[in-house]
Parts: sequence; C-alpha cells; structure tokens
Amino acid sequence: MTDVIGARSVGARVLRSEDPRILTGKGVYIDDVVVPGMLHAAFLRSTVPHGRLLGLDVSEARELPGVVAVYTGADMESRSTAGTPGSTIGMNMMPGINIPSSYALATDKVRYVGDPIALVVAESRAVAEDALELIVEDIEMLDPVVTYADALDPSSPRIFEEFDSNIAMTGEMVMGDIDAVFAKADRVISATVSVHRHQPVPMEGRGSIAEWDPGEEELTIHTSTQSPHLVRLLMSPQLGIPMENIRVISGDVGGGFGLKMGLFREDIALAVAAVDLARPVKWIEDRGEHLATAGQAREEMAEMEAAVTADGVLLGLRMNVTLNSGAYPSDPFPGAMYVGSVSGSFQGPTRIEALAATSTAVFSNKSTYVAYRGPWATADFMRERLLDIIARELDLDPLDVRRRNYVHRDEPPLAMLSGQLFLGVTTQESIEQAARIAGWDEFRVRQEAARAEGRYLGLGMASYLEAAPGPKNPDAPEGGGGGIMGNEMSHVSVEPDGSITIITQQHPHGQGHQTTLAQVASDELGVPFESITVRYGDTQFTPFALVATGGSRAATMANGSVLHASRALREKIMAIAAELLEAAPQDLEIQGGTISVAGTPSITLSFAELARVVAEEPDRLPEGVDRDLEGTASYDGGMGGWSGGTHCCFVEVDIETGMVEIQRYVVVEDCGVPVNPAIVEGQVRGGVTQAIGAVLLEQSAYSEDGQFLAGTFMDYLMPTTTVVPNFEIHHLESVLLDPDVNFRGVGEGGMIVAPAAIVNAIEDALVTLGVRVREQHLPPARILELLGTVPTA
Amino acid sequence: MKLPRFEYHAPDTLDEVLSLLAEHGDEAKVLAGGQSLVPLLAMRLARPTQVIDVNRVASLSTIEERESQIVFGATARERTAERSPLVRTQLPLLAEALPFIGHAAIRTRGTIGGTVAHADASAEIPCVVTTLDGEIVVRSAGGERTIAAPDFFQGHFTTALADDECVVEVRLPASDPRAGFAFQEIARRHGDFALVGVAAMVSLGADGAIADSRITLMGVADVPLRARAAEAALEGASPTEETFAAAARTATADLRPATDVHGSAAYRTHLAEVVVRRTLTTAAARARSAQA
Amino acid sequence: MTERPIQLTVNGEAREAVTDVRTSLADFLRERLELTGTHLGCEHGVCGACTVLVDGEPVRSCLMLAVQATGAEVVTVEGLADGDTLHPLQQALMETHAFQCGFCTPGFVMSALALLRDDPAADEAAVRDELSGNLCRCTGYQTIVEGVLLAGRRAREEGAVL
Repeated sequence: MTDVIGARSVGARVLRSEDPRILTGKGVYIDDVVVPGMLHAAFLRSTVPHGRLLGLDVSEARELPGVVAVYTGADMESRSTAGTPGSTIGMNMMPGINIPSSYALATDKVRYVGDPIALVVAESRAVAEDALELIVEDIEMLDPVVTYADALDPSSPRIFEEFDSNIAMTGEMVMGDIDAVFAKADRVISATVSVHRHQPVPMEGRGSIAEWDPGEEELTIHTSTQSPHLVRLLMSPQLGIPMENIRVISGDVGGGFGLKMGLFREDIALAVAAVDLARPVKWIEDRGEHLATAGQAREEMAEMEAAVTADGVLLGLRMNVTLNSGAYPSDPFPGAMYVGSVSGSFQGPTRIEALAATSTAVFSNKSTYVAYRGPWATADFMRERLLDIIARELDLDPLDVRRRNYVHRDEPPLAMLSGQLFLGVTTQESIEQAARIAGWDEFRVRQEAARAEGRYLGLGMASYLEAAPGPKNPDAPEGGGGGIMGNEMSHVSVEPDGSITIITQQHPHGQGHQTTLAQVASDELGVPFESITVRYGDTQFTPFALVATGGSRAATMANGSVLHASRALREKIMAIAAELLEAAPQDLEIQGGTISVAGTPSITLSFAELARVVAEEPDRLPEGVDRDLEGTASYDGGMGGWSGGTHCCFVEVDIETGMVEIQRYVVVEDCGVPVNPAIVEGQVRGGVTQAIGAVLLEQSAYSEDGQFLAGTFMDYLMPTTTVVPNFEIHHLESVLLDPDVNFRGVGEGGMIVAPAAIVNAIEDALVTLGVRVREQHLPPARILELLGTVPTA
Repeated sequence: MKLPRFEYHAPDTLDEVLSLLAEHGDEAKVLAGGQSLVPLLAMRLARPTQVIDVNRVASLSTIEERESQIVFGATARERTAERSPLVRTQLPLLAEALPFIGHAAIRTRGTIGGTVAHADASAEIPCVVTTLDGEIVVRSAGGERTIAAPDFFQGHFTTALADDECVVEVRLPASDPRAGFAFQEIARRHGDFALVGVAAMVSLGADGAIADSRITLMGVADVPLRARAAEAALEGASPTEETFAAAARTATADLRPATDVHGSAAYRTHLAEVVVRRTLTTAAARARSAQA
Repeated sequence: MTERPIQLTVNGEAREAVTDVRTSLADFLRERLELTGTHLGCEHGVCGACTVLVDGEPVRSCLMLAVQATGAEVVTVEGLADGDTLHPLQQALMETHAFQCGFCTPGFVMSALALLRDDPAADEAAVRDELSGNLCRCTGYQTIVEGVLLAGRRAREEGAVL
C-alpha cells in the first residue's frame, strides 16, 4: 500500500509487508519450526568460572527414560575437529592476535560460567533438563581471571594454556606526527574512561535444528541467524562436511543486533548429535543460557592524553586501550579484534591531526565478547566524552568545542588520518540544527532556575560519522570505497504470472527489507509494490554473503543492488516489449505494471502477457533479444557516502535517589535519502533505546570471583515503556554523492552516539556539584557514589 | 527452563487441601497465583514433589467486609483487589501499593494470600499488612490459627506457617478516614522489585501534632520492618520537615540491607532514609487534608 | 499421575487434549495446539511475550500450568483477525509501524487489547504504564504506544470493535 498511487514509493512511509504476518502470530521463528521425528537438546553448563574438568559421569542421565543420547567433550574430539574462530576468513592471521582452538564441549577445562560441558538429547526439552540434573562432574577449581588486572597479572593462571599469557591481542598504531602536535599544544588533558560489559539480548534467543540426511550426506541447519551462508561456511571444516552439503534455512529472526552473526559452539555439538543419531535435534536456548552464554560486548577502557589548544581544539591524542574479550573467541569475528577499532574509529568528524595508540585485548573467565550494534561504538563514546571533558577543563561551552573541532564541508582537511575522505560531511550543520531545536542557550536559563529549586537538569550533545558505507575515494587504486565485506548481489525477475520476485542476500530480522527492497524495485520497474515478493533465508537459492544483514550494509548495498538489478531487468523488458508492441524502446513507458507506448495509451502490454510470450512463444522475438526476464547486479556501493548526525539528550537527576529521567531526546540525522522514513526512524529509536539501557540499566555483571550475576531479566534490566521518552527525529538535507544510490545505513548510528549524549547530559546536570563522569554505566547507586552521598562499593 | 516433575492436585474444597498438606508436609507446595512459585520451579530452585493448586477452592477467593475488617480470601487476586470498591474506600494504603506489584498481567493471577505466604521481603503486600497491623488466618487439618503480621513474617521467604498449614485469609482493619496514608517505592524500573519501599500512616490530633504514626520499610531487611523507634519519636511531635527528616534517620539508623547488582547496602540505607522522609511527608499532608 | 486430560476454549473453539501437569499453558498452546503465535521470551514472567487472555484477563502463559486452564476461555494472538482482515488493534499497529522483528509482538497485542477493552480512553501515560510489563528490544516503544492510542481513538470515535 503506497501513500499516493502513481507517486514514487521510495521516500514514502509505505506500510510494511511483514506486518500482517507478525501481527497475527503467523511469523515462523526458530522455535516454531517442527521437523518430523525431532528430538530436543539441553546443555550441561559449568557453574564455576575456571576449572580443570577431571571427570564426567553421564551414566545415570543416559538411563533416564526419554533420554536418547548424551554427548561429552570426548565425543566432540572423536566426531569433529576443533574450531579456530576466525580462521575460515583469515582473522587468525591478524598481527598480534591469539586465537585458541576449542571443541564445542569442554574437554580439559571450563573457562566461564555457562561453558557447555555435555549435551543431552531427549524426547522433550523437559526430560533433557531432568537428565542434566543427573550428570556428575568433577571439576578442580582454578583461580578465576575476571578483570583486566587479573588478566595482565603474570601470576594468574592461563585460561588457554597454549599461550604463554592471557593476552588475546596487542597492537600499536600511529597516524600523523604525534610528537609535533603535543609540542604545539597549549594544554594536555588526561582522562581514563571506561565502558562496561553489556549485551545485545534479542527478544528471541539463539536456537537451531540440525537435520542429517544419511543418503544424500546432507546436513540441514534451521537456525536463527543474521547470516545463513556464514553458518555453513564456518561449520564445514569442524564437521568435515563439504560446504555444498550444508544447507542453512532461516525464517523469521527475533532480533540479532550483531549477536547472530556467525557460528556458535552449540551448533557444532547439535550437528554432531544429529549426524550420529540420524535424527533431527532441536535446541532452543532459554533466557538464563542466553544471558550467561550467548555473548556479551563492550568491556573496554582507554587511558587518554589529549593535546589541546586553549580554545578547545583537539590536536592529537595518545591512547592506551584495553578490552576484556572473555574466554572463547567469537567465530568468525573474535572480540579481541575490536580493540583496534577504539583508536581506529576515534577520529569521527574531528580535525584531529595525529593519534597514537597501543591496544591490548585480554582473555578472561567471562562469556564470549561479540559484536553489538556498532561494534566500534566505544570509539565514539571516547571521542564525544573527551570533547565534553575538554570543555569542562577549559570552561568552554561543549557546543562551541564541537563547532571548533568538527570538519566543515569542503574545507581542509578533506581526508581523515586514515585516508578516508570527508566528502559530504554534514556534522556542522547537524550540531547547529540540533542546538536550535534543543534550544541550547535557553536551556541554560531553565537549568539555572531549576538548580535554585534543588532540581538538577542536564543537556548533553554528541555527534558521529558512520561509514555506512563511507565515500568512495576515486583516486584509490581499487576504488577504495563502497561496501565493507564485498559486493552485494541481487536477482530480480518476472514470474510467469507477471509478478516480480526479488532474491536478496540480506537476512532481515526487523529491518523491514521485504518492504524497502520492494519499494526500490517498484519505482524502478513501474510495478505496484504489492506485486513484488522479496525472498531470502535459504542458502539453496540466495547468493552467498559473508555478512548478510549487519554492519548497516543494507541501505546502500542491498537497495543499490536491487536498484541496479531492476534496471537491468527493465532494459530486457523494454527490449522485448519494443518487439511485441513494434515500437522503439525509448518510446515505451511502464506504469502500474503495464507497458504502453508513450502518446498511444491504447496500445499496452501487461507483464503477465510479456512473461507468457517469453515462456511459450519465444520465436516471436528476434535473435539478439534476451529471452530471460531476470536482472542481476553485483553492487560495489557506488560513490557511497557518510551517515551521521547529532543527538541532544535532556535529563533530570534526582540527587537524593540517583534516579535519572530522560525528559526529551532530539535526533538530527543524515542518512542520505531514506527509502522509508518510518523504518529509518524505527532504527534510530531502537538504537537510542539500547543506549539508554546501556547507560541507565544494563550490565553483564560478574562478581569478583567470576560468578555471573545477571542471569535473569530481574537482574539484566532492559528499557521499558516507562524508561524511554518519545523521540524527536529530524532528517537533515544530505549531500548526494552517487548519481543513483544515496540510501545510507542507519542501523548502528543511534546506538553508537547516544551513550555519549546521555552521559554528557548527566554530567551536565551534576557538574556544579563537582561530579565528573569517566564511565558509561550510571545506575542510580553509582550516581550517588559520584555525588559522594554514599561510599563507592 | 522447564518445570521439574511433580504430582499435581487441584481439590475443590479446603478440607481436601488440608488433608493433602497433612499427608505430604514439606514435600508439598501450595500453588495460588503462581507468579513466584512457577518461576522458581522453572529455574528448578524449588523442588516440591507435590503441587497443591488451591485455585479451585471457591470459598478462598472472596473479598468482604466483616466487623470493620476487610477480609481477603487467600486466592483473591491482586487485580480484583485493585478494582474492589472496598479496597478503594476502606484501605487507601493497599490501593496505593497494589499498582506497584509487577504489571497488570502479573496481578491478574497473583493473589493476596500467595504473596503473604511467599514472604518476599521486598514485596508490597506483606509491607502493607505489617503497617496496618493485619492478621493472617492459617489452617491445618488440626485447626485454625490467627497470627499477627509481625509474628507471621519471620525472615526472607520464611513465615510462621507450618508445613501442613495453608493461608486461608488475610484480614486488614478498615482504615481511619482521618488518618493519612502513603506508600512509595523506588525500583530500577516501574514494576521491578523495590530497591526500597515504605508504607506510612500519620494521624494528627486536634492540636495539629502527630497523634499516631506507623512506618514500615521493605526491601532493606529480611522481613517488612516496622520502624517502632521512629514511630515512638513522632508521637506528639509537630509534623514538620525536620521532624520527618529526624524520624527517617531514626528509622534507618540500624539498617543492614543486602548488597546486590542493583545497589550496595550503603545505597539502600541512604535511599530508605529518603523514602521514609518523603512518605511521611506525603502521609502527613494527606492527614491534614483529610481533617480539613 | 502426571498426565491429565483438559478441556478449554481457545479462540472460540472448544479444545480437548492431554497434557503433562508440568507443562505451561504457553508450551501447551505452542506444541499441543500448534498455536505458535504465543512466544516465549524468558519463561520467568518478565518479558511479557507469552501474554494471552484467560477469561478476558491478560496472563503470562509461561507462569500458568496448562492444567490450570481447564474450563477457561483462552484468546491468543491468532484469535483476533477475521480471515485476512486485521483486527482494528492490529491494523492500527501496522499503520504506526509499531514493530520490527515481531518476536515481542503477540504479547504486546494481547496486553494492549486487554487494556483497551478495559479503557479505550487510556491516555499515553496509562498505555505506557500498562505496557511496561512487555519488553521490546527493537523499537523504543514509541510507535507501539502510538498504535495503541490510535486503536483506542478509533474505538471511541469510529466505533471500531476491539
């Protein structure tokens, strides 16, 4: 349903074609999939953070009626090959990285609370859980390695004994003349800022069904994933099953946020069981398992020394970054690799002249560090926090400091330290517009008046620039631009009944691509939105993609690919129609799915008739006219472009209780041309909401001795309707770089910039009380510690 | 997260409930609203072999007025109480506290008797019952006892209930309309377990001084904690900001709350002082307007 | 005896089935009756995804045993639309682009329906208060709240039957 018949679909708030399905309970998520003869699995998981697995007695569990099999680490050793996360795509070759090899179930040691030790397969999940209680494990406790300090202490036990320390990765980076900028600085401002561990927590946890066909020797994995092909690519070497014999099917996915972007150890264990039993085995992760074991993110700390001028210009930075990557690395993107992004992505829209960094990632007895919506988000937090810290130190307005530090469009420098071009950057415009909407100066008057009444209001700002996909550098040898993780492939075809099918390599899980890709094709082909079906989710027919939906790729890459594939198809349609209507192709037009000759509206040809002729009477078409009704495009991202913008957050802090209320939230957003503004705004709100959770509520807490403390939804708190405000979202006029495709990614922007806007607002509220914030997580108890009301726990 | 095996009984009469309890004792758990018991079962933290569902005992679900008491049958739902005119008119403190319990879909199942028997020290109803000097009527095959709230709540998840006893009624005296009541709590999010909650009553004499008061804290001890020293200190005092601030200090002077992921003991103690002061202030303001 | 036959009405239809006494109403609806629209997001009563109506009241179906539903009238998200015509609440939620991944959706729909049947004039504060027992990780809630308010307005002003 388009807003206006005949109008362009792109740019309209088209209603989502996904919604009738999900609103009526007809979505098919992984736990809704039933395969005949299916068994159910449950994992025995370690309750100790670190220990040597001396023995495991599963005999009583095997005897329980309804239990079909119990697998242990020894079974994994004999039936699979140890996995080395990232090795399939070469991540283990990154300089300075240490990647351990592990089996799906613990063999020699347990390394975090939740480490899978045994797999029970039974007639029902309840019976499988009954059997878990009958397994007896003998574990010799080892000292837990929990904090950065524990991990860096040479006397701590090594978590992976194949390495001589608990260092997961080290790196150094220097860009620009760092000594020169410090030499010319008026001031050096130091700050150590930390980000706490929190996690994606999609409402649907992980889950899979493994199904083995012994005749065809084919493994089918039904799973909840963002990237179906990646699952088969990564499974193959561990199982010794050729990739072409592994099929991955994924239907509706109840959220991912970066978590479901690879292979989980549980899936290997499940496949081993399915092959052994020649029966389908289903595992649906419960919420306790999810919180403890699915993956956690963002435990990072940076010691920063900033070279600044007296008027607040950040000239350069030395930073020393540490990341706690947990125990088992994520496959294929090991958490340790993100330590480099904290410095590598620090610059953002600033004119910083030099940056030098050392990076250290450590192993610990915690859950796996995974990607979470903007995995480099800590870089944005560090930069935007540092700009406010500089403003406080120099007694300047944080808005003025931003005005002085962010690049202006078309003024030098035109490139970042990394060489990436500052093309079409609208950060300056966004801060001015945001300040205007927020009433930046008027707020100070209200803030003053409120303080006089003992009320503490705060206003914080933060900006970002996201390479989604980033501008192409025309001078770079390989084009240097466009999409990360390769080109994007789409097929668009006319079905025999005249309807249109799009096959995408995306794997949407809330982003509404069934709607947006159809909007793009609808405009390009001149057919009704309703006549277009978007298909995805089965590796038997979708194009290969390392990353399907993730990394804010879809807006530019998938829409662009569909746009160009539709154009290729349109050319074929026009060539055929020109023959059938005996007209020149340039005289033809398509409207509402009907081809006609311009100026002669009585002569028409429907897509259905066109398809029929191609199928049944191909001889009517002369030699040289393509007889397939398919368009394909492998798209490189074109000229690309930046996403970016500025957020302003208003808070009130109750200094007696430490409770923070978000009173107002303003977003000024540049994501190029939005295909569907309603969907863009949904992405922004969702991202900011996760950031509100990160700052006020969410922490993947561990005790000093490595016990996990946030294993239920009563401990891991996510934002609810009464926590978040209504959001004011404004779209900024964008600088268009590509002749055709100026849709830019928007999935991560909210989550990467909002934590700084919120924390800046909280500090702003409390700054006259002497509060200086150097961390991201600010639950009420912490606010009162910062105020000095209660001692630091 | 599936429930373990158990035998399930759903008798229609209280006598059958009591005879099952007599038979199974500590092997049995009474299932009322299930909003606390079922999660404990799902996490396999509770392991009864027998579950005795009392929801089919019709006589337990009533809310009625009896000799200036409002009497709640053990399975009266929190949602029913929330909608009850008796509660609205006679028990303003309970009416104010009820919406703090979880969310609507919790209160539609959760029961007054169940939350009292469960005795979570950060639950609202036990705090209200303690403040209003309520009584809990419990019965076994051997007979009935009426237990005053302070004797009933003995520790976190621990009560005076014997293994063969079942809560049958919770009785709350109808409130003096001239008294001011207030209930406040601070939770991380609306509907979460309270970090700290306080129920208070203030009544004023003709001279405007405090004639009587009650203060109960929840979430900061292993039982709903009556602040009797503070109540005593308030008697005859003038209802000023300073008076209530002093009472709040007295009420929280000896607190030893637990530390958890949501806040340290020091934080909870501080918060308790703030909430006691605020709740007393609100209760006193209501007492003033009730008198006017 | 750990298995029991039960009879109940689900979405207006009389159903009879045998259930293990330890099976939750949610698992019973999903597995035995194949009504997989009711989702399990936490199984400990916090996320609200499994909310259904039992005798007209919103209930966490993960915290109720299936045997306890004997004799009850249960309505799930599958019971609202009339063929291909969405229920007015579902229609309103579609028009406000309320949801994204859809996993939490059935619980929100059922919680909101109970609220609006109680009080179609519920204002934004009341809607936010009532829906605070349902978690959504995608949307930031604003569009859900807008959709519920829209449905309430249509019920009041246009006579839409909720």
